[in-house]
Amino acid sequence: MIPTSADDQLVVLEEELEPSSTPTVSGALEPVGRQRRRTSRIGPTIVLVACALFFVLPMVATARFALQNVPMVNLGWSTVFDRWTLRPILDVLGEDQFRTTVVLSLKLACLTVLFTQLLLLPTTLWVHLRLPKVRPLIEFLTVLPYVIPPIALVAGILVIKPSVPWFLNSDYSLIPFYAVLALPFTYRALDAGIGALDVKTLVDASRSLGAGWGTTLARVMIPNLRSAIVASSFLTATVVLGEYTIASVLLKETFPTFMAQYGEGHGQGGMALALLALLATTALLALLTILTRRRGVAAQSATVF
Amino acid sequence: MSALDYSAVSKTFASTIALEHFDLGVRDGELISLLGPSGCGKTTALRIAAGFEHPDGGAVRVDGADITRTPAHKRNMGMVFQSYSLFPNLNVESNVAFGLRVRKVGGSERSRRIAEALERVQLSAFAKRYPHQLSGGKQQRVALARALVVEPAVLLLDEPLSALDAKVRTTLREEIRRLQQDVGITTLFVTHDQDEALAISDRVGVMSHGRLEQLGTPREVYSNPASAFVARFVGQINELAGTSNGNGIAVGDRNLPIAPPVGAASGDAVIVLIRPEDIELVELDDPSSPDALPGTVVGEDFAGSSSTVWVRLDRLDTLISADVAPSSAHQPGQRVGVVLDATRARVETSAAAPAG
Repeated sequence: MIPTSADDQLVVLEEELEPSSTPTVSGALEPVGRQRRRTSRIGPTIVLVACALFFVLPMVATARFALQNVPMVNLGWSTVFDRWTLRPILDVLGEDQFRTTVVLSLKLACLTVLFTQLLLLPTTLWVHLRLPKVRPLIEFLTVLPYVIPPIALVAGILVIKPSVPWFLNSDYSLIPFYAVLALPFTYRALDAGIGALDVKTLVDASRSLGAGWGTTLARVMIPNLRSAIVASSFLTATVVLGEYTIASVLLKETFPTFMAQYGEGHGQGGMALALLALLATTALLALLTILTRRRGVAAQSATVF
Repeated sequence: MSALDYSAVSKTFASTIALEHFDLGVRDGELISLLGPSGCGKTTALRIAAGFEHPDGGAVRVDGADITRTPAHKRNMGMVFQSYSLFPNLNVESNVAFGLRVRKVGGSERSRRIAEALERVQLSAFAKRYPHQLSGGKQQRVALARALVVEPAVLLLDEPLSALDAKVRTTLREEIRRLQQDVGITTLFVTHDQDEALAISDRVGVMSHGRLEQLGTPREVYSNPASAFVARFVGQINELAGTSNGNGIAVGDRNLPIAPPVGAASGDAVIVLIRPEDIELVELDDPSSPDALPGTVVGEDFAGSSSTVWVRLDRLDTLISADVAPSSAHQPGQRVGVVLDATRARVETSAAAPAG
């Protein structure tokens, strides 16, 4: 037995026995480390710049076509700074349909995110906790919407259309189809997040402390899966904001269908709209990166004390 | 304080029997360790008490009340797990507060109980730290505080020390015992480490194939094992092949005055089980030890306060270990006589004694 008088020393003792996992680098090794770091940065920098160019150049080309009043054949180096205008964007923004379709697409994105999370979060958790053996099957099923083109899904929808006109007449009937299309991304994001946690032990610990399933989900699972939930939500939203085929076949006026329709009559305006959509999606993904990274940074900085 | 009782509890997973008519009574304020090899059913027994598994048959009672069908979150059990189970999103204080919040204990009462619980595990200074900022030992102490703060009926410990390094394990197991005795809480402790079980338990239950082989004080289990399995599993044991000859056991060319097992006929093959501390090494051909088995020293494990000498017996070609005083020096190749304490030996018929 430990004598009570030694209790105060226990904490110190254990500190000594289990040193902090924060790595320490010996001063003598620093110059070698720095040199290696400098040389090892060149390769990643080249890849990063190449990726940035691959991403930015088409956007610049789109921007020049959409926002420069210069005939396309004259769009060269000599005309880079000539006759830029925001007119095509302002024209698009002035369209009534633009506002209504954007609002509808945003509503659909939010509702699809909600629907997907309500459906997938408990399901994925349940699979991890109680049905680990069916995980490969679920993974296979969730990848199907990625393998099978949306037009095949549309063919199925057309078959059931006469039976459920009341359902398909509503704009919100798109939600379940969008949820299916987003499955490959949303399931994987959630599955990876849950896989990174010792879900079984955390759930057991919560329940042994008196929490029911609802409390366990709300107070333990959701806070610890925040990054995975945010990631899967944003991926769902980007799928919804870019989906054209199903909305078009079901004659819904969403932002992507408006974009296609508007582009037919307004060459420059259509491109301006595409540019706006591209920038909005980029902003959304940047926000996702920041939101998911902030938690990691906070956790990392907290280890230094 | 509460008593925990299992009566005829059975549990089968697919075709594997995890528990078979398992009976166990843990008295008020007692610490019982369930000890056994992997797959013996000890963790299943614990998880059934916690409500994470449901038995196929039998009943679990706390203070006489049947809780077999009570959901886990309504059982008022405190549990510490093998893997670190602190909620990563909550700091130490909030982790300890979790059970109290669920029970709607608020205000100053909650603060007082959290402070007391952290004081008990000497982690008051770490209240604002997050789990990833704590060592494994500290995380398990927080888990212990979190389990005890809700004043559970029974404390269930599922190999809480197995992820820790050797020195922290020893320190923490003593701390667990001190806390358990201070609080006076009924505790069921599952482990595969016999040192842990023997060191901190009021009683030890040794399990094999879903059954309780023996339940007794650590001294009883070690000194008077109820079966060959218990003898083999708890502590070190030497096994010598012999033959029953009616009034003793023939081992090599010696006839040892050890009672044959009940029902063994003359000429039956038997196994003599004897602990290293019940063996004495003497000079070869010592006239005062005519039953000594001749052998050759092959090595010695010196452990500071004790020493174990390995001897290969001549006629049996069997390697045995004998505990000797660390001051007595034995060189490899030295010829010695091996004297077994006949009163401490245990004999099994060969059929009853599984290999290994």
